Amino acid sequence: MNGLGDRAKASRHMAARVGRGAPIKVEGRMRRRKTAVAVVLLAIFALTPLLRWSREGGPSQAVIADISRQTLYVFDLVFWPQDLPLVVGLLIAGAAGLFAATALWGRVWCGFACPQSVWTDMFFAIERAVHGRIAQPTARKVVLDAVLLLLSFVTATVFTAWFTDALALPGRLLSGTAPAAVWVSIVVGTATTFLLGAKARERVCLHMCPWPRFQSALLDSESLVVTYRRPRGEPRGKARLPLRPELTGAAPVAPSPLADTITAARDDSDQALRGDCIDCGRCVAVCPTSVDIRDGLQMGCIGCGLCIDACDSVMEKLERPRGLIAFDHESALTRAPVEAATLNPVARPRLIRAKTLLFGGVFLLAGGLVLTGLLTRQTTFLSLEPGRNPPFVQLSDGAVRNDLGLKLTLRGARIDAVSVHLEGAPDARLRLAESAPDADWSTAVIVPLNGDAAETRLLVRRSAAEATHRRDVTLVVSDAATGKERARREVTLWGPAR
Amino acid sequence: MAEPELDPLSGRKTTGHEWDGIRELDHPVPDWWIKTFLISILCAIIGLWLYPGWSTPRQDTKGLLGWTAREQLVRDTEKALAAQAGWRADMASKSLAEIEADRELRRIAMHGGGLAFARNCAACHGAGGGGQLGAFPSLIDDDWLWGGRLEDIQQTITHGIRDSDLDTRVSQMPTFGDILTDGEIDAAARYVRALADKKPAAELSAMPGAAVFAANCAACHGPMGQGGRDFGAPRLDDAIWLYGGSVEEIRAQVKGPRHGVMPAFGRRLDPETIKMISVYVHGLGGGER
Repeated sequence: MNGLGDRAKASRHMAARVGRGAPIKVEGRMRRRKTAVAVVLLAIFALTPLLRWSREGGPSQAVIADISRQTLYVFDLVFWPQDLPLVVGLLIAGAAGLFAATALWGRVWCGFACPQSVWTDMFFAIERAVHGRIAQPTARKVVLDAVLLLLSFVTATVFTAWFTDALALPGRLLSGTAPAAVWVSIVVGTATTFLLGAKARERVCLHMCPWPRFQSALLDSESLVVTYRRPRGEPRGKARLPLRPELTGAAPVAPSPLADTITAARDDSDQALRGDCIDCGRCVAVCPTSVDIRDGLQMGCIGCGLCIDACDSVMEKLERPRGLIAFDHESALTRAPVEAATLNPVARPRLIRAKTLLFGGVFLLAGGLVLTGLLTRQTTFLSLEPGRNPPFVQLSDGAVRNDLGLKLTLRGARIDAVSVHLEGAPDARLRLAESAPDADWSTAVIVPLNGDAAETRLLVRRSAAEATHRRDVTLVVSDAATGKERARREVTLWGPAR
Repeated sequence: MAEPELDPLSGRKTTGHEWDGIRELDHPVPDWWIKTFLISILCAIIGLWLYPGWSTPRQDTKGLLGWTAREQLVRDTEKALAAQAGWRADMASKSLAEIEADRELRRIAMHGGGLAFARNCAACHGAGGGGQLGAFPSLIDDDWLWGGRLEDIQQTITHGIRDSDLDTRVSQMPTFGDILTDGEIDAAARYVRALADKKPAAELSAMPGAAVFAANCAACHGPMGQGGRDFGAPRLDDAIWLYGGSVEEIRAQVKGPRHGVMPAFGRRLDPETIKMISVYVHGLGGGER
């Protein structure tokens, strides 16, 4: 029955505030960390598109996912759609890293780095600021929504700047010359930011996000999670009640009979002693998801640690040691009360565990594969399409010509032309179909590049004596200027059957 | 069949069916679903009424507001043509050589010409322009019956060969089976084969066919069989033979010549398309300057 009562209480707490407004303000170490992380992440988000980078035949933006070119530029790295396996590897590494971090420190991603948390937290702060300045309810609501809508628009515009020239974007928006896709991106981005960040807020974490559902599989008793040190806090009571003697060192340490029970001492008339928790409710009031951490680890807890700050400030006023709520192992709940009372507020996670080894291993493996793939990936794409209709051309002097459709793309090429020659057919002479009809046949031809690509028709001529029915040769592409080999490809030359 | 009855637990009626004592609660499709379904059907009927998708052989079915599929096609075609207006004007005003020299126009011509070639020319000359031995000449080799410069190709495509067009290219090799004896034809065929094999002059002049050739063939095909493009007379001194290069095949062609016919595409295609095909064919590897 106790459990049922807890759930009812928890849902009462939630119902009290979820979706009704910002949690109250709190100051402390966790708050400062959360703010610092948010500032760094927001700065990366907003400033990255502004960075410039000089590159030939590409945008001047350092980091840009260029939709029209179907290319992702990250400084000197160029990614094409065929690099998708790298992205998959990166996602796998990211997931494994996230799992490992969760196994070590609980849901730090949710509490500190998740965009939903960062934006919700920022919007909560704005809501508190607006409410502090405007008293009239309607005006308050209108001003708040207007400000949040404006910020959502800015967010969406910055997001769009990752996909189009960021410096030109404001001008194109103001002059109305921005293409429809930009407007669609901004409108959709504004709407989702406003709906998720300003309206749905913590309900996204509680009801929409799948991540909280994983946490029971990722956490174990060794993970650091936001923990109410129950043996020290129970039984709760008004501050005027005297503390249990073993908490002050006045009585010998004894295993607390209350260590694994929860007693919400609303009615303290028959209670003589209390634990460190004075049931002030600050921890619930500052919680972005309105959970009562004293009920233990639960799905609604995003691990941001703001309740730690709230509780620490109360403990300081009561001149009690901080850390009644702290990042700790679940095993803290079974510690003896006095030991718990003097614990270092921040515990360390045990690094070497099955979960951390597994997730860390997958992270390193996937990361290593991505890095290897990145360093060894193909930069020259050569496609040869030998003419099939006819397979060869009979020329008037008895010579035989083979026509090869040649498509070439050099990733991030900074050269004007490539040289193409054949190996395995010393008698073969080459010419481009688009060169002047009276151009000379030669052993190597220069193919000019258009940007980083070339598409042409390569004519291969062999004399009557050399033109065997079938000859396997190798086509070699190299830099025209330096002679550095770029690609080679086996190809079969055909001639008349004899 | 049992009657529907009230289920005491859920307060719902059962379907009334019973399978081996198992009854089922009646859960009809929700109202909103039925309504959406009916509205969808209504939308489909209205849509078909506005934009009818069927036509009779006699006429196009008109929609409620006068829409017909054919008019839509005409509008779309006009729109597509309007979108092409820029480069079509360039194609029309510039010479073939200018088109070929202009990178962008050449790109358009190679693509558009390739498409038009596939639709109009490939049936005879092959998808790759390689022709067909014994029937249609190759367009990608270095031997041309009527010339391989851009203008020659344009002329041939526009006016055709042995077509009813006034400017068509015409030539007619006589049926030598009616003029020469079989022995003379055989001698001429052997002489032509020797020409193609580049036999020494002394050996050639000693052949019995030399006199026959000089009297009957050289006027069009040239004294050394180098061909005459003004009459579409093929070269006889090279390795390319439309109707086959063996002595037997040459003999057959001399005795009763076959003559290919090509339609005048000026009747079917607009001048810009013909220009594009000309540039395309010229760019396949056999173009001459």
